[in-house]
Amino acid sequence: MARMKFLCDAERCIECNGCVTACKNEHEVPWGVNRRRVVTINDGVPGERSMSVACMHCSDAPCIAVCPTNVIYHTAEGVVLHDKDGCIGCGYCFYACPFGAPQFPNGPAAFGARGKMDKCTFCAGGPEENHSEAEFEKYGRNRLAQGKLPLCAEMCSTKALLAGDAAELSDIFRERALRRGKGFEAWGWMTAYGKDKEEAK
Amino acid sequence: MLIKKNAAPGNAFRQLASPVARHLGETMDRRAFLRRSGLGAGAGVLATQLPYNLIGSADAASPAAAPATGGGEGEEVVRRTVCTHCSVGCAIDAVVRNGVWVRQEPVFDSPLNLGAHCAKGASVREHGHGEHRLKYPMKLVDGKYQKISWEQAINEVGDRLLKIREESGPDAVYWIGSSKHSNEQAYLMRKFVSFFGTNNMDHQARICHSTTVAGVANTWGYGAMTNSYNDMQNARAMLFIGSNAAEAHPVSLLHILHAKETGAKMIVVDPRFTRTAAKADYYARIRSGTDIPFIWGMLYHIFENGWEDREYIRQRVYGLDKVREEVMKWTPDKVQEVTGIAEEQVYTIAETLAKNKPSTVVWCMGQTQHTVGNGNVRAMCILQLVLGNVGVSGGGTNIFRGHDNVQGATDVGPNPDSLPGYYGLAAGSWQHWCRVWGVDYEWVKGRYASEELMTKSGITVSRWIDGVLENPADIDQPGGNLRAVVYWGHAPNSQTRGAEMVEAMKKLDTLVVIDPYPSATASMAAMVRKDGVYLLPAATQFETSGTATASNRSLQWREKVIEPLFESKPDQTIMYAFAKKFGFADELVKNIKLVKDKQGWDEPEPEDILREINRGTWTIGYTGQSPERLKLHMQNMHTFDVKTLRANGGPCDGDYFGLPWPCYGNPELKHPGTPNLYDTSKHVMEGGGNFRANFGVEKDGVSLLAEDGSASKGAELQMGYPEFDDVLLKKLGWWDELSDAEKAAAEGRNWKTDLSGGIMRVAMQNHGMHPFGNAKARALVWNFPDPVPLHREPIYSPRPDLVDKYPTHEDKMKFWRLPTLYKTLQDKVRDISKEYPLIMTSGRLVEYEGGGEETRSNPWLAELQQEMFAEVNPKDANDAGFRNGDYIWVESPTKAKLKVRAQVTQRVAPGTVFLPFHFSGWWQGRDMLEYYPEGAAPIVRGEAVNTATTYGYDSVTMMQETKTTLCRVAKA
Amino acid sequence: MKPRFPLRLPAAVAALLLLAGCSEEPQVVQYEQGKYQGKADSRPWEGGTFNGDKAAWERALHERVRSQNEYQRVE
Repeated sequence: MARMKFLCDAERCIECNGCVTACKNEHEVPWGVNRRRVVTINDGVPGERSMSVACMHCSDAPCIAVCPTNVIYHTAEGVVLHDKDGCIGCGYCFYACPFGAPQFPNGPAAFGARGKMDKCTFCAGGPEENHSEAEFEKYGRNRLAQGKLPLCAEMCSTKALLAGDAAELSDIFRERALRRGKGFEAWGWMTAYGKDKEEAK
Repeated sequence: MLIKKNAAPGNAFRQLASPVARHLGETMDRRAFLRRSGLGAGAGVLATQLPYNLIGSADAASPAAAPATGGGEGEEVVRRTVCTHCSVGCAIDAVVRNGVWVRQEPVFDSPLNLGAHCAKGASVREHGHGEHRLKYPMKLVDGKYQKISWEQAINEVGDRLLKIREESGPDAVYWIGSSKHSNEQAYLMRKFVSFFGTNNMDHQARICHSTTVAGVANTWGYGAMTNSYNDMQNARAMLFIGSNAAEAHPVSLLHILHAKETGAKMIVVDPRFTRTAAKADYYARIRSGTDIPFIWGMLYHIFENGWEDREYIRQRVYGLDKVREEVMKWTPDKVQEVTGIAEEQVYTIAETLAKNKPSTVVWCMGQTQHTVGNGNVRAMCILQLVLGNVGVSGGGTNIFRGHDNVQGATDVGPNPDSLPGYYGLAAGSWQHWCRVWGVDYEWVKGRYASEELMTKSGITVSRWIDGVLENPADIDQPGGNLRAVVYWGHAPNSQTRGAEMVEAMKKLDTLVVIDPYPSATASMAAMVRKDGVYLLPAATQFETSGTATASNRSLQWREKVIEPLFESKPDQTIMYAFAKKFGFADELVKNIKLVKDKQGWDEPEPEDILREINRGTWTIGYTGQSPERLKLHMQNMHTFDVKTLRANGGPCDGDYFGLPWPCYGNPELKHPGTPNLYDTSKHVMEGGGNFRANFGVEKDGVSLLAEDGSASKGAELQMGYPEFDDVLLKKLGWWDELSDAEKAAAEGRNWKTDLSGGIMRVAMQNHGMHPFGNAKARALVWNFPDPVPLHREPIYSPRPDLVDKYPTHEDKMKFWRLPTLYKTLQDKVRDISKEYPLIMTSGRLVEYEGGGEETRSNPWLAELQQEMFAEVNPKDANDAGFRNGDYIWVESPTKAKLKVRAQVTQRVAPGTVFLPFHFSGWWQGRDMLEYYPEGAAPIVRGEAVNTATTYGYDSVTMMQETKTTLCRVAKA
Repeated sequence: MKPRFPLRLPAAVAALLLLAGCSEEPQVVQYEQGKYQGKADSRPWEGGTFNGDKAAWERALHERVRSQNEYQRVE
């Protein structure tokens, strides 16, 4: 069984925001709701790196654990979805989420009144009939059910953002990493493996 | 709330929307439709969208087979188009249902973008919403825009322009065309304005890459990117100077980062630590406007260490000795003093380029928009010639153009100094085009005020304001000042000296703006005028069809996605309507079929216009790209190799994608296009070539032709040779290889004017020879003010000491019809850096494009950049006493003041202030909202940097100086 | 009365607590209708597009993943 994941390659992400507008375009996401955004660190200095972030569809998702109405769930493909009809807009999932993925639109908007939670669906719609009008209005398009992957990744300008079965993404990323042939100068290496290696350099 | 699916329409908004929609008409209807467009994964969508490699085989998916007006009820059709923002040429599959553009899908098959998009490309579907567009013709009455009918608009505008033409001559009207036009529209515009009787026309290329086009063409023949984005994957080192590709051409980074991943070294030299620099292996910070000393500094090390390619230089380069003399004056200490780059950095970069060949260079506005722009670009060409990198896959000068069709509009569009195809304005050029157009040369001559004005270059878009404001006695045209300006797809805030521009707008008799988003011009004009301004709604490129030439010279055919929204009309239709009003409609479309649109207007058919371009544009090989061949390419994208761009099998077998020009001969010759210019390793019929013999065969007793052994593969004469004409063909004994009909057409003509294409065919197909000859590239361009590029300080320089050492040019009295200041102004402002100590420079943001009215009207983009800002170094911010996020005033020596947010960052060095150039809609601290036509103001408005930019122009092309001027900053 | 082994009780409590970790119910459950309070959802391959043909759906997705890897088309 496929296990759906996003993977963002920081060596390639150029902060072009293509993923952000692709998402807006595909789901007609209203102004102020950002299912996906690009985060940059060390802006403007050497070491600048960007990363596109949305719901990470965690395997052990904290939002599911904390939801008081128990409407967030994991599909068999590993996508974290929720039922807006049962959402009470409490924001608990937002506190729990390490990535700030849950969004709370104010007032009557395309994705529900009363500030129901809205977030990235991995372009997999929600608990309504596939491709139904209700599904689109509440959750956006269901690309997964059309045999397609999230548009943000499919349209990524440098193919930094990848989406799909985790094992297949690993293969793509491994091939790149091998070609780069980088060791400790790869971004994130020192954080992961410590300072002593830098000194050994 | 929602329990059952059929309870869904309980949404209050929609219950309201439906009845309202019936009354409000189309706009509301479309919005409501878009909201519901989630359904409909009908069989049609799947057939076309799912197995992407099958597109073209399924009926509904076949773009050619699809009707032009949407499918039946609920049926979805896919139309293949191309992004209209930058020059990468990213393909888009537009999904249309009931005539509404409901979705946008990636085209993984495209060899150019492989489905990838940046923020702009991923949001082009918003054009189908278009809520901030101009919806109908409008007219300024008592300082307010009022709706008028198309009929009234054409009549009133036409009468006003005809009256001015009558009173002051045709040269009193200035036409600003567009790099956003398709090739067909741009070409028709050149023809249209010619028939109006003036060369006073121009478009964005003037202020974008005019110095590149002139400098590069004068070096080796053609003024274009030599290789392609894709070919950069073959490079082993890449130097970006004055290019922020990560923001300006984001999808190019797909190829660039791929190359980097496979071992290429990436170097960025820029005054800013750009997002491109963040991806580079090596970055050096240069003082803005000192490119030539830096390049000479690199060449100094190359010559010192013997890294030059001596054999290549001997065979293929003319005049390098003189360059070498100048280069050796630039010792490392001098280079450091002027550029701020240390010797070891310059050495490292030079060594990297010299030892990792093929190496390529990339430049953009950072090199071109200077008073020494033509010198900057020629210095880059020389660097590549010295390293033997030109005409080599993985090498070349990869000049990234700006707009989606700026290359095409430069090639065949409204240029003040040339007819389509760089034919120039000589009588012979006019006669050539009159034959193609099927009109009488004498008639065209009669349309002009005089034969002299017919053959004299017009005023440039960078200077139209001086055409209005200058003393009429000093303007080099008999009619004197410009009285009317037509902005046809061009932003006003992209030209410098905005403060003077409003004065010019005030003085005009008539201002006409034809644009989907005319609002920047409209608001500036309404700020200073009460009447005499007309706004006409043009359709976007998604509402018509035609071709666009990407930066790599590939042409792509865009299908019409939707019918024009609101009352807008495609540009070619508007041109034809005005031609009728002006009385030359029949001449304009002599060879071009007219088709009726839904409202009964006549539209010149884009296919036919392209065929006319094919029949006439021999110089640069726009002759082989027939609409049929291009459409076939669009449907068979998957058959093209991504690295070479060549089709391997399939219906386009052997062709390069989009038939990158030159694609010589008529379409029947089946020339495959030229992926990399001047590449001698390929046969000319396989896209090979060599440098062009365009500057005579000898200069001062020295031959300009290439040395033996340097001709392209398979050429019968492996030596230098001149360009082909009837005489040469006879001398070589090849004349009889022409058919009788070809002989008749070719007699007394050369390869550029032989409409039969016979000379070209015989030279290329039969003998493997290049029609434009085989010469050396010129390191020494003797016809330019600086034959060897010289460093000259910007007019507004922060270094008075260096102004004395490296002064600018002498003033020019008659230059593109206008007096132009250099030295007198530089002397006058020599010490102005005491008052204005910071360098002011400008550039792009990824979310916006050009003047930005279009992209700032797109909510998906506008949300990402909501305010105009200035990047200021922490040191300068602390000195001036403001913090990150404060409003500040940026004031330039023109005294114009910009109120912007401070972004305090080390991205810029102390002493440099960077401002993005996409904003407009604020005027020196004031929101101009009240001056906009109702409902057509963009979502995000801000100060235009060019309100404050200063005087300064390139000495060859009149390119404006935007990248180096001065300013001071203070807390607002 | 003093306990003979003063640490026995805390040790037992600690052991119990530790073992309790092993028996803890997973808080994140695979979706199964009825185990959570929301509405039922259909699988991606159910309904219009694939009509329940899961293998076809997986093949389609595999193709789309490959499209994201430009090394498939560029060497």
